[in-house]
Amino acid sequence: MITNILDNIDLRKLGDLLQQARKKCSMTQADAAKVIDAARTTIVAIEKGERRLKPNELIRLARAYGRAVSDFVQPSPVIEPFEVQFRAAYQRSEQEEVEISPIIQRLENLCRNYLELERIMKAPLPRNYPQEYEVTNMPIEVAAESIAIAERQRLGLGDGPIPLLRDMLEQSVGLRIFYIEMPSKYSGFYSYDEQLGGCIAINASHPEERRHWSLAHEYLHFLAHRRKPVVDYEEKYQRKPDSDRLGDTFPNYFLMPTSGLLKRFNDMYQAQGNFTTTNLFTLAHYYGVSISALINRLEGIKLLPSGTGDRLLDRGLKVRKVQQELGLKEIPQRTDLVPIHYQHLAIEAFDQGLITEGRFADFLSVDRLEARRIAEVLREHSSEMIEENVHLDLRQA
Amino acid sequence: MEINHSHLVLDACCILNFCASGHFIEILKSIPIEVVVTEVIREKELITLQRLKDKENTGAIQFEQAILQGLILVVDFESELEEEAFVNYAFELGDDGESATFAIAINRGWAVATDDKKAISFFQREAPNLEILSTLEIVKNWSEEANLTPTELRTTLKNIRTTGKYLPPRNHPLLVWWEEFNIGYENA
Repeated sequence: MITNILDNIDLRKLGDLLQQARKKCSMTQADAAKVIDAARTTIVAIEKGERRLKPNELIRLARAYGRAVSDFVQPSPVIEPFEVQFRAAYQRSEQEEVEISPIIQRLENLCRNYLELERIMKAPLPRNYPQEYEVTNMPIEVAAESIAIAERQRLGLGDGPIPLLRDMLEQSVGLRIFYIEMPSKYSGFYSYDEQLGGCIAINASHPEERRHWSLAHEYLHFLAHRRKPVVDYEEKYQRKPDSDRLGDTFPNYFLMPTSGLLKRFNDMYQAQGNFTTTNLFTLAHYYGVSISALINRLEGIKLLPSGTGDRLLDRGLKVRKVQQELGLKEIPQRTDLVPIHYQHLAIEAFDQGLITEGRFADFLSVDRLEARRIAEVLREHSSEMIEENVHLDLRQA
Repeated sequence: MEINHSHLVLDACCILNFCASGHFIEILKSIPIEVVVTEVIREKELITLQRLKDKENTGAIQFEQAILQGLILVVDFESELEEEAFVNYAFELGDDGESATFAIAINRGWAVATDDKKAISFFQREAPNLEILSTLEIVKNWSEEANLTPTELRTTLKNIRTTGKYLPPRNHPLLVWWEEFNIGYENA
């Protein structure tokens, strides 16, 4: 045990963290100074990393900021602040700043936790990344379809639907995907750096068809504009740039490949000699996309006359009501905040006694009771591995 | 159950289990020495305990009643040594609750009640003479003192299992006793 960790800690990093925490709870340096009975200049020096803290001062500041002391002293992987990446990417209004900053911070913390778990378990996330696709000067539709076909081929997806898109992108590609509650107008965030690879946050409060679509959209950012952080939200642009139009078009081809869609449409049409609203709903459910997305796609390949969607709306089509009447089940989905690999690393670290129960709960962003419930579910999936088997190399057994 | 110390510091996992048992107050009364919790645990775990409900009230209410009745003493750091140990343990464990519990217990020569595998292994190295008790030791002691019938004991353990979601590790010295009352891995 080190005599006093505060004598050896990186003071500049500690100062940064304390400053961020203070600002987050809207305290001034003068307020913080009162907490430790010091002058404001002392806080200035602490936040600059120029003055060492006493344990008592750190404890008092952490309590005043509503944070755990371990948040400030625990060694955690150093990653490039997401805020910097996203700030460089685009301007935002004050209102957007208030909405976006906590999401960016959340994504960054979750990604840092993920790296921390990989370090604890000595199990880095395997990557199966393709080369970045070159799309400069290519027509949008052609580029979108050609990338979609190439990716489906690379990942062995055939031309059918991708019901478990999130699991596939997490496990077969190695992306870090988080489902985070966001204001409704935001659909997804995308970020990349060499250490973390591709990181995506999807709006957890959107319906599954929308999340499915957003995920494909964010995936395109990874495939074609890998190093450009993106915040996707409604009415982002007066006129969308090509990168975003490509992102909007790609899900059409990736989620509903032309060959498979044609075949399934024709099968339905041949079976009954027409294509009804019921067929439309069944097919949309099959591909896990919204009715309007499917109509647009069918109109695009001339299988439905243009304006079909508007006509259905004019006739008073109620999508949710029809879905219920047809008895279409919820699309299978995993809406957990964190990726499945992350969850398994956390439960293994906990079961092997490498992290405490409290830390396990923190990794899952839940309280201790919920953490125990999740642990039970995860153990069921891993067949309650007994301790001596955990490190067994099954290829050597 | 013999404890060779003047005080026993309860950790969050044990508090959760005792509240889930439905007999928090009785279990506390059966502990033959002064029972304490740290301010850090009290502040952090009250929210969790509010979610823990039995037929009568929430875990948080039971916990607060125990404090009001003087069955639990809430303690905070009293010396630079404790504060320094706490910060050092927080660096090692990344867990303020465990760190505070052990910093105070080690510096004051008190015993600890916890089931946390990581904390136990870390502090067995750090403070080999520290006395550590588990949820099951304390519940077993209470059940014997209170002369519980097998049915009452089974209900209590089942509450800890289902409400508190607690399951002892397979190498727990009291696993056989736990399983005797049909709370095994398969029967929970």
